[in-house]
Amino acid sequence: MSQVMAPPWLDVLDETIAACVTHRRPDLEARLREKRAQQLDPKLRVLVVGESKQGKSQLVNALLNAPVCAVGDDITTTVPTFVQHADTPSAALVRNASARGSIFHTPTERIAVPIEQVTKQVSTARSQHVVRAEIGIPRALLDSGLVLIDTPGVGDTRSAHTASTFATLMQADAALLVSDATGELTSAEMTLLKKVMEACPNVTVVVTKIDLVPSWRTVVERNKALLARAGVPAKLIPVSSALRLRAAKTGDQRLNNESGFPELLACVQRDIVASADLLARRAVAVVASSAISQLVTPLREELTAHDSSRTAATISTLQEAQRRVDELRRRSARWQNVLNDEMADLISDVEYDLRDRTRKILREVDKTYDEADPAIGWDKFEQWLEDNLNEAATTNFAWLMERAEWVAAKVAKNFPVYREDLIPGSVLPDDLLEPVGRLEKPKIEPFSIPQKLFTGLRGSYGGVLMFGLVTSLAGMPLINVISLGAGALFGGKSILDESDQRLKRRQAAAKAAAQRHVDDFFMKFSKDVRDSGRHIQRSLRNHFSTLAEEFQETLLESARSAKRAVQDDQTERERRLREGRKELDKLVTLYKRVQALGGPAMELSA
Amino acid sequence: MTLDRVVWSMLQEALAVYRDSPRATGWLRSHIERYTEPVRIAVAGRSRIGKSTVVSALIGDEFAPLNSFVWYRNGTEPRAHVFSGPGRPHEVAVGRRGGRHHVEIGQFDRADRIVVEWPARTLRDVVLIDTPAEASPEQVLGEADALLYLMRHVQDEDLKYLQAANDHPIARTAAVHTVAVLARADEIGAGRIDALSSAKQIARRYRRDVAVQPLCQNVVSVAGLLAVAAKTLREDEFAALRSLASLGREELEDHLLSADRFVGEQFPVPMDPAVRQALLERFGIFGVRLITALIRQGFDTQVKLTGQLVQRSGLGDLRDSIAIHFTERREILKARSALLALDVLFRMEPRQNARKLMADLERVVASAHDFRELRLVAALQAGRTKLPAELQAEALRLVGAEGTTSLARLGFDYEADQREQREALLDALVRWQAQAADVHAPNDQRRAAQIVVRTCEGLLPQLS
Repeated sequence: MSQVMAPPWLDVLDETIAACVTHRRPDLEARLREKRAQQLDPKLRVLVVGESKQGKSQLVNALLNAPVCAVGDDITTTVPTFVQHADTPSAALVRNASARGSIFHTPTERIAVPIEQVTKQVSTARSQHVVRAEIGIPRALLDSGLVLIDTPGVGDTRSAHTASTFATLMQADAALLVSDATGELTSAEMTLLKKVMEACPNVTVVVTKIDLVPSWRTVVERNKALLARAGVPAKLIPVSSALRLRAAKTGDQRLNNESGFPELLACVQRDIVASADLLARRAVAVVASSAISQLVTPLREELTAHDSSRTAATISTLQEAQRRVDELRRRSARWQNVLNDEMADLISDVEYDLRDRTRKILREVDKTYDEADPAIGWDKFEQWLEDNLNEAATTNFAWLMERAEWVAAKVAKNFPVYREDLIPGSVLPDDLLEPVGRLEKPKIEPFSIPQKLFTGLRGSYGGVLMFGLVTSLAGMPLINVISLGAGALFGGKSILDESDQRLKRRQAAAKAAAQRHVDDFFMKFSKDVRDSGRHIQRSLRNHFSTLAEEFQETLLESARSAKRAVQDDQTERERRLREGRKELDKLVTLYKRVQALGGPAMELSA
Repeated sequence: MTLDRVVWSMLQEALAVYRDSPRATGWLRSHIERYTEPVRIAVAGRSRIGKSTVVSALIGDEFAPLNSFVWYRNGTEPRAHVFSGPGRPHEVAVGRRGGRHHVEIGQFDRADRIVVEWPARTLRDVVLIDTPAEASPEQVLGEADALLYLMRHVQDEDLKYLQAANDHPIARTAAVHTVAVLARADEIGAGRIDALSSAKQIARRYRRDVAVQPLCQNVVSVAGLLAVAAKTLREDEFAALRSLASLGREELEDHLLSADRFVGEQFPVPMDPAVRQALLERFGIFGVRLITALIRQGFDTQVKLTGQLVQRSGLGDLRDSIAIHFTERREILKARSALLALDVLFRMEPRQNARKLMADLERVVASAHDFRELRLVAALQAGRTKLPAELQAEALRLVGAEGTTSLARLGFDYEADQREQREALLDALVRWQAQAADVHAPNDQRRAAQIVVRTCEGLLPQLS
């Protein structure tokens, strides 16, 4: 065949990318595109990861027999270091041109540095925005396009290092997880291992520093058991970098064999370099299947929840609207009752109050005119009565107003919804408190001097005659001293009697006049109060029923629109459901093809 | 009244208030008893970090590790008791096998606590508690006054543990009870001959690290195996090591490259592989390398070698740290534990008539000068409060960051007499009073200076 055939995984990957575009997932798309570019690149990236101080950099150095990575007792590796093949040794630091920014998608600059200095520069590069170091050396191991990536330790207190390690993880084709032999794999390391497996399925666990630990074989056995229990299909190779480096220095082949590196190199050759295509397929399968499952999950949820979620939302809007209409009706009965009851109470209370006040005034009048003479100071009395009645009326009316406002508030409280303008501004009739007619002055008969004279004479006449007759028996003349004296006495008395009677009459007349006036006032004013009460009641009722009607109309409208929405939804939904099914079928087919590439077996069905 | 007297009387008062509650009385009585005891130091850390090794090194006798809480306290003769569930403790035997002491708890499948009484000089001032790896910080600190936390390198998990250990309002105002230990210092340097000095440098860096500093009083590095070896080096072992050292450096080097080679077949010195295996287990490959190097350098008697090992393994530093931060501050640590216990009591059984005590508790925590000193130390070390460089060191010294004796506070490195100390103190007092009254200084500096002045004033009566 003259044409170069694209590897099968490329088709699948491209289709997956297309699916991501259709489903509007630019994030997944970017990730897959990155993977695609990386897989098309003939380089094989092998990531060396692990917790800090496990001997990662030393492992890289020992693999290459060259001190290319910074090693030391404290935390030394601060940025990922990429070691790849070059005909002449070279090194460069890659820095972010801008001060801040992520590892990708920001302009970076490469600064060439002498290869002897690169380790020093890397370990002191903390603050210079160095993103990674790149080293090229001539080594047969790297000839086939192998790139070893030394990473900062995971779980270090400086979290930035950890972050850059995970960022590099995305680009890896295979990984070497480094754990030293001084202890078995910790739970943190197991978590790390699983995390690495997710992004890059080809992981080999390397147990380092076996020269230091007498019991390294037990540790290796325990680690194998741990991996088996966790179901992690990773190989485990024990090595000693110190022995390997020393063997390289002295050319001691036996020591080299003891270091365990021949096995590790063979493993790298066999599992990583030689099976690049298998690796690619596996890596693509993992990334693609994870992307497809991410696409499928929301789609399936949408399909199953279509009836229940979207329609349910519309239906619940409808139900809510209807419920609120009912609620409004039920509650309008309530507020009307409240209004009627309260107003009836109010009017009777106010009337009683008014009656009470007028009676008090009348009692005062009675008391006054038991003693006083209406002839004297009538004008003053009239003024007093008028003032008192006015005061009673004002107080009573103020009370009415207060109560009316209270009633309005109470009704508002019983109203189904709250609004700013719920309480009416004014419920008052304007034409209130028309003055009652003036107090009628009672008729007062004056007791004049001739009247007094006449009354005195009439009284004295009887006295003179009575005593004159008695004394005439004693031989005295009819008109004598005694009879004249008695006459004067009688006359005086009858004048007194007469004026007393007249006073009583005047008082009675005054009381009657006051009574009448107060009655008139009461009649007139209580009528007014009743009228205003009814007026208030009417205006409140009008106010609230207008509001209620408005509400009802709004609610009914929303209920109607909800109903329309439910009906519209039905057709729309069916269309979407069909489309969704089709999409899902397509994704499932794609997923099966991905599975065929050799990804992890995961269950996925339509 | 000093802090410990105040707290003591609070404990007594609480006992009177809660006399009708058996649980509370039991709790208070145990704390009153604890108040007069030596400082209890818990040794904690991840599994296989070397907790039992460090405990053994401190005691000076090697004990086989046990997977439960093991208390080592002073006693006239070796004895051990197992506390398992409710009921009386059972006495068990302490045997000796292969140079190690074994507490024979065979018949108890689970022990809550094992208490070993042991005649040792270290245990006169402290009670050491070896803890199982899976114990939570609450369990560990419930019984202990202070904490030695062992780790390799400071990792997030370690910081979380230390944060949890400080996660209490009273504990936070008085974070004075932790010393972090870089255990297995020999492994940090990948077994190179200079591993221990580089481990010391790393410890020094962590001491200044902003994440680590507020959580502990000090960071020291210790090579556990070497420290134990230093204290328990036997005649026959020393002889074997000397015969190894008699070999040339180059000749031996090849056979010390790895543990496997050391116990391998072709060995230049006629020495039973079993002996070599035993040496390896006791000292590690690093230990053998270091000891043979030391013997070659002239530390060729057991006494000389032991002195070197104590110093190089970091055991000396660890002991000094324990002395400065724990035993010398016994009163404060005990008061702190008692205050925590009272706080627990008041929260578990709140009472009307304990109101006054609760207010007292708050006042003591907020105002005790000892706590204030410690808070200032923490603030200065963490950089929350900044003083000019020359004042910072003096302030730290005066408030007792380097020791609480008057000599240490005043910075004398020789036994100065009363008069000399008094003059130095008066000089410092006048200068710090001026600093406290300096209107141009920021508020936090003035407040720090006030605390230093108060410390100096407290020292004055001791020196007159």
